[in-house]
Amino acid sequence: MARILIVDDDTDLLEGQRLFLEKHGYTVQTALTIEDGLARARESAPDMIIADLMMEHYDSGFVFCKKVRELPGLEKVPIVMQTAAPRKMGFTFDTGASSGREWMKVDEMLTKPVPLEHLLGKIEQYLSSKARHD
Amino acid sequence: MTESGPAVRPLPGDLAIAAAIAGLDREPIRVLVIDVEEGMREGLRRILERRGCMVCTAADGESALRLLADSPCEVALVPLSMPGMEGSALTEQIIRRFGGRTVVVITSARASVEAAVEVTRQGAFDFLVRPSSPQNLICVVERAAQQGRMVREREKYLSELAGERNLSKQMINSMHEGVVVLNIRREPVLMNPRAEHFLGTHFRDGMSLPDLFPDLDTAAAIEAVIDSAPDRPECRILQLSGSQRRLQGSISPLLRDGEAGGAIVVLSDVTENWKAEQDKNMFVSMVAHELKSPLSAIINYLNVILTGMFDDNPAKVREMLERCKVRGEALLDLVRDLLYINSREVGKVERTIEPLDLKLVIASQVEFFKVQADKRRICMRLEAPEGPCMVKADRGDLDRVFMNLISNGIKYNRDKGSLTVRISEAGPAWEIAVVDTGVGMSDAEQAGIFQEFYRVKNHKTSGITGTGLGLATVRRVLAGYSGRAVVQSRPDAGSTFTVTFPRES
Repeated sequence: MARILIVDDDTDLLEGQRLFLEKHGYTVQTALTIEDGLARARESAPDMIIADLMMEHYDSGFVFCKKVRELPGLEKVPIVMQTAAPRKMGFTFDTGASSGREWMKVDEMLTKPVPLEHLLGKIEQYLSSKARHD
Repeated sequence: MTESGPAVRPLPGDLAIAAAIAGLDREPIRVLVIDVEEGMREGLRRILERRGCMVCTAADGESALRLLADSPCEVALVPLSMPGMEGSALTEQIIRRFGGRTVVVITSARASVEAAVEVTRQGAFDFLVRPSSPQNLICVVERAAQQGRMVREREKYLSELAGERNLSKQMINSMHEGVVVLNIRREPVLMNPRAEHFLGTHFRDGMSLPDLFPDLDTAAAIEAVIDSAPDRPECRILQLSGSQRRLQGSISPLLRDGEAGGAIVVLSDVTENWKAEQDKNMFVSMVAHELKSPLSAIINYLNVILTGMFDDNPAKVREMLERCKVRGEALLDLVRDLLYINSREVGKVERTIEPLDLKLVIASQVEFFKVQADKRRICMRLEAPEGPCMVKADRGDLDRVFMNLISNGIKYNRDKGSLTVRISEAGPAWEIAVVDTGVGMSDAEQAGIFQEFYRVKNHKTSGITGTGLGLATVRRVLAGYSGRAVVQSRPDAGSTFTVTFPRES
């Protein structure tokens, strides 16, 4: 069964998403910090990663994604970022624009709260296209 | 410089002349009649006095000059030829010595164009052929007097103008705003010291528009203003970056006789406002983020419950609902804190500064948190010197500071830990240390601890709710009392927050 890694600094958000995805048959790992997230990514090579943007720092998610892409075997793992940050946060990048996504090395940017059904749909979409490519 | 003067008070030449002409009706014209023949002198005097002039007479050049030195006359009637000093020599002397106030009219029986041209060249205003009719005489004298008054008004006006120009220059140079004037060829022709300071450059001849304003938007706006139709002049206001500053440029057209003549750029320093606005935008974004996070968690749990996937596990459902409640309450706290900060900022919180005993204030807060501490078997203590610990403060402010510190001391403590509030004297201040035995913080984690929305996030703090505004509020409140707040902490050993308040004896 596909393995999903969720990195977010909100335990409750992690818990809700974990319970939901597990009921749908996924193996879910969670991490509260980017260090923990990287360790888990390195150990278990997840099929897909869902990461928060603003954790310890406003750009923690970005740092995390960049480091994940440097791990062997994870260069192309689908990464969906979810953030509660407004589209334009005074950062130099627009989280909604494709140029921002490319720069941040993520496949998609979702705005919190992400409805669970929507998240599930996204996971299915990315995993099936990954399966076709593999 | 000249084109930059502000609109001076309306005293154009026309008005001055009008005033001079009007003055003729009021003040008598003072005339000096010079002639070697007494009969001629007295004849002229009679005609002139009949028409309201004040007349004095002189028989020769020397006495004429003496008279003019003693009592200024507006018009001198000088014969072209007379014994002793010739008319032309006398004219020259009068013009040289009294030219500012006396107008010379040459009188002569010889009506030749050459003579007229000659004396006019020497500075005489008019030429009167004798014998002449009384009307003609009066006409010539009045015209001469009028000319003299116009000349004097003009001189006065010019000297005032020079004074005002000097004043304008001083005003422009002492302005708090930067001023740049550009001519129609887009060349900077004037810059005051403030503008040089703002733009980080010195004015020199031959500067170009991009030398001063490399920013394309600003240059384009200036050009648009210069090129705008004079009958519908265009003004622009824009923000630009100066040398380490944020500037607001207000560009207005410079009109010369109603024609486009360039542009005036007035630069004001809006760095402080701009920074405040950036901070405010950041704050609003942070608030949005902080509001959405708990809502996302709550909605997630509710959705999981509503799918019915845990209908067979009521304990799990209850656990999720408990967390929803906790997060909902934290959200409410956040809204409350935000409203409090806002009302403090806009000065809506009524504060009563009164002598208060810190010991009593803190004791009541400790009492308030007892239930919460007992739940986790945390032992709370208040240590203080003998007698009252007086400060002058608003009760609400003190409550807010210690409520936040004690609440944190419990939230971030370990079960069965301790929380000690210790009051001690430290010079002119009371020092209050709130010491917990909780999770503590690394140096890196302590760095932004008093900033809005900063929260230490790690495994140990992950289940703890907070608004990220508590310590920021403590800092804000203390700033109003010249107090301060510091933290000392080690991971897993606990944290000590120390605040100071000025002592009131």
